[in-house]
Amino acid sequence: MSRWSLSNRLALLFAACTAVVSLFAGVLFSRGSEAHFVELDRQLLETQLIGVRRAVQDNHGHDPQVRLDDELSRQADLTLRIKDSNSAQWHGSPIPAPPELPERPGLYTLRDADNDYRVLNAPLYPDRTDSPQLTLLLNITHHQHFLQRMQRLIWLTVGLSALATALLGAWAARRGLRPLRRMGAIASSVSARSLNARLPEAHMPIELAELARSINDMLGRLDDAFQRLSAFSADIAHELRTPLSNLLTHTQVTLTRERSLEDYREALHGNLEELQWMAQLVNDMLYLAKADHGLLALHREPLQLAEEVDILLDFFAPLAEDVNIRLGRDGESLIEGDRNMLRRALSNLLDNALRFTPVDGEVRVRIVDGAQGVSVSVENSGVGIPADLLPRLFDRFYRADPARQEGSSEHAGLGLAITRSIIRAHGGQIRCESADGWTRFVIELPKNN
Amino acid sequence: MKLLIVEDQLKTGQYLRQGLSEAGFNADLVADGITGQQLALSDEYALLILDVMLPGRDGWQILQAVRGAGLDTPVLFLTARDAVQDRVHGLELGADDYLVKPFAFSELLARVRSLLRRGSSTPQETSLQLADLRLDLIRRRVERSGRRIDLTAKEFALLEMLLRRQGEVLPKSLIASQVWDMNFDSDTNVIEVAIRRLRLKVDDEFPNKLIHTVRGMGYVLEERSL
Repeated sequence: MSRWSLSNRLALLFAACTAVVSLFAGVLFSRGSEAHFVELDRQLLETQLIGVRRAVQDNHGHDPQVRLDDELSRQADLTLRIKDSNSAQWHGSPIPAPPELPERPGLYTLRDADNDYRVLNAPLYPDRTDSPQLTLLLNITHHQHFLQRMQRLIWLTVGLSALATALLGAWAARRGLRPLRRMGAIASSVSARSLNARLPEAHMPIELAELARSINDMLGRLDDAFQRLSAFSADIAHELRTPLSNLLTHTQVTLTRERSLEDYREALHGNLEELQWMAQLVNDMLYLAKADHGLLALHREPLQLAEEVDILLDFFAPLAEDVNIRLGRDGESLIEGDRNMLRRALSNLLDNALRFTPVDGEVRVRIVDGAQGVSVSVENSGVGIPADLLPRLFDRFYRADPARQEGSSEHAGLGLAITRSIIRAHGGQIRCESADGWTRFVIELPKNN
Repeated sequence: MKLLIVEDQLKTGQYLRQGLSEAGFNADLVADGITGQQLALSDEYALLILDVMLPGRDGWQILQAVRGAGLDTPVLFLTARDAVQDRVHGLELGADDYLVKPFAFSELLARVRSLLRRGSSTPQETSLQLADLRLDLIRRRVERSGRRIDLTAKEFALLEMLLRRQGEVLPKSLIASQVWDMNFDSDTNVIEVAIRRLRLKVDDEFPNKLIHTVRGMGYVLEERSL
């Protein structure tokens, strides 16, 4: 059953419903007509009974035999038996009577091999206890034939209407399910190459629109993930190309002729720097890949944000003092988070801020404790970032400073992307705003999660 | 001091052995888990360096066998996989430390030395010294050639670390982790600046330089002949 097509199932169910309904109607109708015939026969027999009684009782000079015959001759399929304590006498047309006749008064339906009968038993004199018994026997074979024909008709109707609804139902179901097949066709056209196909939600029946929306959302997420994955691979290849080609060239050139020990040492040092840069890049990329797949396992613990920020400011103090940048923090809050991850996130922001703050500038960390969440902003004085570049800051390998060439520094351009991943893993958001000579990275972290 | 390296990547193993030998350790290298386990159970080694993925028996199984035999030899794991589950699994089984490839050799060496030092109980020192540099741990004062040097708390901690591990090349990541409790890879040059500032106070005025940069690897505090 589970492998049946939806249309077939629906058609079968339609047919079953129709069969049940028409069967019920047929049974009701056939019961009704049977009862109706019984009633008609009873009326007929009771009328005859009155006639027979009158013919026997009112002896106004007439021969009761003649009057009885006269009475019975009007009904060809009717027979009368008058039975007293010792004899029985038959009147009326000689029809074959069933062998056993009931003795007690009342209306009965009997049948023998060929015929059906309605039998009415009644005393000739209702007010006398030793009255002879009248038995009126009506041959109703033709009624029964009619009923049987009708029943056959009913069965035929049930069968035919079930078949008809099955066929019509199958057609209707196929038609009704056409949007589903359309969904199937679109879905089967989706591949890694064409994840941009979408189901037409607006043209779907209400029941399917929800499903279509879910499928579209799923396609959207897949598309997004796939795009990111492709971009990710392309980025890695691109970023590794420069240091790799440096390594190849440098090593080959070094080996082309004999050199002094110092030159070899120098060459190895050069290679080491490239290799360290690549190792850092690979580790950062792996970290981001884990974050993308939701695999960053947070070890949440209660953190005094002010304390954490002070530790970080202490860490960066030598760097800041070197270029006479003031470091400051205000506000405090208690949150739940992963200490090492949040330190890494904030350290990237501070490192970034210090990188772009001019000599004698200022870097401030502001913690604002709200009812819903905590906002931590890392702000630095300086030239600021053009508004159109702000959304791109968190992209991988994006470097706001065009002078900073790829592979040319220890800085791979993944710091802000990593920070964003960490903040998102904490259920938070990060954005950047830049105005009036201040650039501000704002982290919003939800509370009690 | 004998170390055992169980690593099936031929080059990795050979480089590690060479590096450790040149750093003064006597290292044995085997490439499969079964031999590795036999040797590990012989209790001849002061430290085991185990790759996780090995033919025969994997690193976890060797570790289990070693701990099962009641040996508390320190174990340092190397793995190419940085799954948190792996890390948790290893630490549950009794691994002492964990390095994810790619790692720097200087990092490995520093960890090996930390692990080996962990076992030996060092007497409570009151001061540390190298040449004419003296660090008083109780009064938290630093002197060089009898002259008092003023250091910030972090500079003091940094110098203390360098003095405690004099002669060892300390990678930047280890310094960041030990002195500032920053336990992540960072591409910031804070450590360079901090070392430079420390040098300014400790070395600049003296002809005999003690703090040295080992290019591409880290920093070392030692007395070098002029």
